[in-house]
Order: sequence, then structure tokens, then C-alpha cells
Amino acid sequence: MKRIFVLLSMSLALGLIAACGAAQPETVTVVETVVVKEEVKVVETVEVEKKVVETVEVEKKVVETVEVQAPDKPKGELIVSLSTFPNSIYMPNAAERNASNVANQIFEGLTWVNDDGEIVPALAESWEISEDGTEYTFKLRQGVLFHDGTPFTAKDVVASWEAGKDPSNAYAYNAEKAKSVEVIDDYTVKMTTEAPDPLFLRSTLSKDWAMIPAHYYEEVGLEGIEKHPIGTGPFKFVEWVKGDRISLEAFEDYWDEGLPKVAKLTFRPIPEESTRIAAVQTGEIHIANRLPADEAQRLLGAENVKVVRYPSDRVYYISFNNLTSGKGTPIEDKLVRQAFNYAIDRQAIIDALFNGYADLSTGFMTPGNLGYNASLEPYPYDPEKAKELLAEAGYPDGFEIGFACPTGAYTNFEQVCEAVGGYLNDIGITFEGGEIQFMESGKYWDLEANKELPPLFGDSWSTTDGEALNRLEGALGADASYAAWNTSELQDYIDKISSTVDDEARAKLYSELHQLMYDDPPFVYLYEPNTFEAINTAVQNYKPRAAEDYFLKEVFLAGAE
Amino acid sequence: MQRYLLSRVIQSIFLLFGVLVVVFFLVRLTGDPTSLMVAKEAPAEQREAFREAMGFNRPLPIQFLDFAGDILRGDFGNSLHFRQPALDLILERLPATFYLATTALLFAIVIAVPIGIIGGSNPGSAMDSLGRALGLLGQTIPNFWLALILILIFAVNLGWFPSFGRDSAISVVLPAVALGFGSMGQLVRLTRSAVLEIRNEDYIRTARSKGISQFKIGARHVFRNASLALVSVISIQYSYLLGGSIYIETIFSWPGLGNLLQQAVDGRDFPLVQAIAFFISFFVIALTLLTDVAYALIDPRIRYSS
Repeated sequence: MKRIFVLLSMSLALGLIAACGAAQPETVTVVETVVVKEEVKVVETVEVEKKVVETVEVEKKVVETVEVQAPDKPKGELIVSLSTFPNSIYMPNAAERNASNVANQIFEGLTWVNDDGEIVPALAESWEISEDGTEYTFKLRQGVLFHDGTPFTAKDVVASWEAGKDPSNAYAYNAEKAKSVEVIDDYTVKMTTEAPDPLFLRSTLSKDWAMIPAHYYEEVGLEGIEKHPIGTGPFKFVEWVKGDRISLEAFEDYWDEGLPKVAKLTFRPIPEESTRIAAVQTGEIHIANRLPADEAQRLLGAENVKVVRYPSDRVYYISFNNLTSGKGTPIEDKLVRQAFNYAIDRQAIIDALFNGYADLSTGFMTPGNLGYNASLEPYPYDPEKAKELLAEAGYPDGFEIGFACPTGAYTNFEQVCEAVGGYLNDIGITFEGGEIQFMESGKYWDLEANKELPPLFGDSWSTTDGEALNRLEGALGADASYAAWNTSELQDYIDKISSTVDDEARAKLYSELHQLMYDDPPFVYLYEPNTFEAINTAVQNYKPRAAEDYFLKEVFLAGAE
Repeated sequence: MQRYLLSRVIQSIFLLFGVLVVVFFLVRLTGDPTSLMVAKEAPAEQREAFREAMGFNRPLPIQFLDFAGDILRGDFGNSLHFRQPALDLILERLPATFYLATTALLFAIVIAVPIGIIGGSNPGSAMDSLGRALGLLGQTIPNFWLALILILIFAVNLGWFPSFGRDSAISVVLPAVALGFGSMGQLVRLTRSAVLEIRNEDYIRTARSKGISQFKIGARHVFRNASLALVSVISIQYSYLLGGSIYIETIFSWPGLGNLLQQAVDGRDFPLVQAIAFFISFFVIALTLLTDVAYALIDPRIRYSS
């Protein structure tokens, strides 16, 4: 009987882990008591600020010495951590950032988005877009070889499109964005899209497609490509020991001469962030990715390690719902939604829960995004103004409304919601059922997709394209799965943006929409968090990008033999 | 004996089935994984198509029957995340988990049994105090905390061992110590109390009165009788170690089953969670059954009383 109990409690434990599990793209960390935090805070802030400045200086020095130090041929082994076990390293099937970061080194697309966010040639040397924005003609780069020595030509582009479209791929729909792909001659390809697609060059062709050899696809199929991927990238596949490492080595015939600069590139999955921190300190890895702010700060005094901090393109918000549950409630009034934005001291939340390392959000466009409207200031904390606006809207004593938040989904987000709830209480808003409804994230997202959440709910949305279109299309409008808010004006803007291929015209639309969504806010905008990484000081020329996508061909190791 | 064996086997099968039911329904309490598996930007039709393809839109009892039927045919389904048969993934990871659990158990036994015997034979001695301290610490220190501390001291500060992975022969040391520490505490305590108890038995007094040396009494009478109790505890501890390595494997990024389970649970990879839970339960139940049978063979009282 005792053993039965033991077993049952084990399976119960498994189940409980399952219940509190759910995706945690960022880590949930235990919050210390407020008193301790405040004592520590000041010291830490000062130190970190210093450290950041130092980091910048170090990087400057590096830039100056690059020419001296960079090896003439690939040298040394660069070891990079992954925070999950990749499902696949074939790009169209790579389920999340850790997986695609490995694929980024093996495969290339026709275009590339450089560190400044500009679309530049990669495997295509140049392109022309038809007047109506649906027809693309690419001139391919000549002299590019695949890892198996065969030259890259137009027929490979067609094969890569067909392989990408295979429904067994997690991201088959990316390849489906092209309606047709035709060979014009060996080095010319024509593609058409159903409708103008502003992200086609920027996103689809730069990072979602992987160019593979046509003959290889015919011979081994997708299964063979999954087992032993072959691309044109700076690194070629060596082996994948499941759960342990993925080993790549420099491709000596890479078209971009002089690159890559390390002889071996190894990815090591380490799911636990404390262990990533330990491993970068011992030198077992060179780059530790996805660290929580407080853990990263443990490394400030460490030798041979520098902490890198950069803004990530993710917006946290409290959404209003005018599509289902919020219909006919006070939140339909613009003044009420403005009042909510004034009511919350977001800086205090950031200071208390993120050691100050997050930026105040002004809307769905973040500072790096195309068309970001820099003239907008974050809503200030002004509870008096909030109360006035509520009174003006006809609710001087506040009102009751439903409010839900997910648990286990995002770093400290439960506490953020509690704080938001407290500030809203201060202006007379109370919650249905007397409190915020917290739900396990998996269930929460199911409800969100079915539009069954209450009129107020918290969530976040990231984008990796350098512009906000995915975020806008995902969280707004009548058709989107997770949308809860729509107006005809917003929908017009989104439609116009998604059919404007010209970057300048699109930037203008974004900027106007940014202003509109600021004045008549469909969300309470909260914050944009920072990403922390720790890197070994031997690592040179490493430039983190807001989308956390790695392109490591220019990175080298100081003193590598 | 045959009847006893048969009844235990049947009990075990029911138990395994019970575990399956519990795991299957508990995992599903968290909602269906469509929202995690399909891109957030994907249109509603694509979400529906995914649900349809995965069978998540069918009634739960039917999903369960299908699942149970497939398992009988040896098919554990495909992992949602890895898009490979769950069984293949498990078989890849199984050896590492066995290796770690076995090493941890050996560590626990090698430290615990001698200390327990010496301490139990000399109550109040320094060795006894050490044993009691180890027993207390082993049972109270959470192993994930110990794991982090071990990494900090022995990998980061001293640099004696790697902080993660399974790269070299010494890679197993820190995870095995962290994992086996609790079992060690348990074993020290049990060995000590078994020895203490046996020391006061009549047959020990008789042996002593016959003038047999202290060492011989210890080896022939005390240890032999104590080992009977230890065998069952050790087998239970082994099953704990096999099933309980989730956090330790994750912290040390040990390429085993627990590490895989952690990620499967995080990503609500139902088929994989179910398959791993099935395997771990299977080993635990099989181990328990084997111990019971071995025990019944050794000690007739057990097989007759049941």
C-alpha cells in the first residue's frame, strides 16, 4: 500500500509540474521581500550603470583592435548556449529562437537584414519589384557553393521553396507566402505573391527560407535534410548529439571571403539559467543567452565575463476587449482607457520587479521599429488626472470590471498584474469576483484565442522583423485569433500597412497609427523588457540583436590558436 | 508462491494503468497545446486544422482509449515539439538516466552503509554523530539547492568538475552527489537504526555470551540481518532516483530523460510527457515487483502472510 501511495504521489507530482509548467519563454524568478530589494536596489543600479558604460568602452576598444586581432583563417572553438532543446535545425521546421539560431549558421536566404535593420543582398545580388508589388525578379549571386561542393543556382531556389512548403514543417506557411517560383535562367528567379507583402523581402526571404541543394532534396527528402542539413551558410553541420550538443565547423569555401572566423562552432543546450551563468564563468561556454536580470547581475564582478544588456522587441500590456466581454462596459469610452493609462505607476513597477531594466512603452511600435513615433512620451503616472477623466466619462466613483492575467508565462508578470490591480483600485476600479482572475497560461491562451477572457486582460507580444506588423495584426482587428479590440479606423491602418511594400510610405502609416493608438489606446501600455546575456571576454565582434537572432560568422576569439 | 507472484503481477498492471489514467487526464487539465504549438499570428482555420490533425477536438475518453490502444501496440505517438516518435526520443535518453541514477545510488550506498553500521554499533561515538548529521542533512537539504551550491563551489570556484553536460568521466560526479545525497541520508538513518535494533536482539546476546569476537558478531549476525531491511529500502531509493532526477538533470543539463521531461512539460508536449511518465512508472513498478519477489524468496513470512 505504501508503494502504491509512493507511485500515486509521484504521478501526482508529475501532473502538478505539468499544471504549473507551460511555456516560460522568460524565467520566473522568486521575488525577494520588498525591504531587501529596496536596500539592494540602489547599489545594484549604480554598479550596473557603471558596468554598462564599461561594457560599451570595452566594445569600443575591441572595434579599434579588430583589424589587429582578427585571425587570417578560422581559429578556435566558439561555444554558445541554448536555453531549450531544438526540435529541428532545418529552418522551416525550427520551432523557436534557439533552434533557428543554429539554423542561421548553416542556411542562408536570398536577402539578409543587417544589424542596422536594412535589407541587404545575401544569396541574391539584386532584385526588382513590379509596380503592383507582387512580382519579384532576383539576380542570384554567382560562385556560391553548398557544403557538399555543388554550386547554388536557380533550380535550388525552387527546390527550397517546395521543401519549405511541405506540410510537415512547423512553418510551412512561410514558404506558402510565395504563390509561384520560376527559373528564368541559371541565375535569375521570378517569384509572385498573392498580394503585396511588406515583410516578404525583410522576413520571409531573409530568415524563414533556407536554401538547400535541389539534388540533395531529391535524393534524401526532408528526413535526410533534418538528419544532415546542407546549406550555403558559413558553418557546416558535423553532428548532433541529442540533448548534449550540436557541432558545426567553418565552411572553407564560403562565398563571403575571410569568413567565418572561428574553426568550430558548438551549441550546448543548458535549460537552467543558473547553470548557464556558472558555465560562462568556468569558460565552458562563451555566450550564455536568455538570463534574468537579477541572475545576470551576479556576474558583475566576475572575471573574464561581461554582461550585455539590450532592449527586446516585446511589449507587455493590459488589453481592453471591445469584441466580446467588454461590449457595453465603461471601457468602450476612450476617456476611461486614457484614465487607466494615467493611473499606473509603471516606472515603480519596473524598478521594483525588474531592477529598473525595462523601458516604458508608448504603444505597439518600439524604438527600433520602422515608423516609431519618437515624439510620443510614455503616459505619466497621474492618478488625479485619471480620476478627473473617469469623472468626465461619468464614473466619478469608479466601476466594477473583470480582469484576468496568466501565470507561469512571463517573468514576474503575476506581480505586475497585482500591482496594476492595486493602482486601478486607487482610482476606484474594482474587479469582478473581488480579485484578479489568475489562470495557468495554457488555459489562459485557449480562452484568449476563443475571446472568452474578461474585458481587461494582460499579455505580451513580440516581433522579430524590425517592424510591428505581426504584433498589430495579431492583437488587433476583427479576424485575428488573439485580438480583443477593433475599430474600423484601426483596421484601415492595418490593411493599408500590410499592403504597402514601399518602406517610406509604410513608415509614415506606422507613425500615424502609433499616434492614434496613443490618443485612443486599445491597451494599457506597460513596458518593454531588456534581454541579458553574459559573454566571455575572449569573444570579439559579437553584436546582439533585439530579435535575439545570432549570425556568428564575424565573431572570433581573442588569442585562439 | 506462484499465486503470490501472479497476484503481484496483476496488481502491478492495474497500477500502471492507474498511473496512465492519472497522467493522461492531469496533463489535459492545462488545456490543449494548440496555443503553444501554432504560431500566435496563425489564422483561426489553421488552429482548427491543427486541432483536427492532432485529435484534440475529440471527447477525452475517446482520446484516452486511442492512446491506451496505441500503447498496447508499442506506439507512444509523436512528440509535438520534436515531431519524432516519443519512443525514439526516450530510448536515446534512457541510458544517461540509468547511468546517473546508478552512480548516485552507488555513491549513497558506499558512504551510507559503513557509516550507518559503525555508528549503529557505537551509539554516541563521533562516527554516530556524523551519521546522524548526514541523515538529517540528507533528508532536509533540497537536492536542487544542493546542486546549485555544488556547481558554485566545485565548478565555478575550484574548477575541479565541469558545471554541466556529460563530456568526460568526471562529469557524473556533481549530479550524482546532488541526486544521491537524499538517498544517502535515508540509508544512513536506516542502517543505523537497523543495526541498533539488532544489537539488542537475544541472538546477539547469545553470540556474545559464547565469546564470539565483536567483529564476527558484526559481520555474521548484525550486518546480515540488517541487509535484509536495506535491500528493500535500496530498491525504493533506486526507483526514486530514476524518477526523481528531473530537476537534477535539468540543472546539470544532463542528457537524460528527466531533462527531456522538464522541457516536454514546459511546452505541454502531451505525447512526450505521457510516454516518459509511462516509462518511469514502468521502471518503478517493475523494480518494486522484482524486490517483492526477491524478498518473498528470501523471507518465507512475507509470501505466507499475503
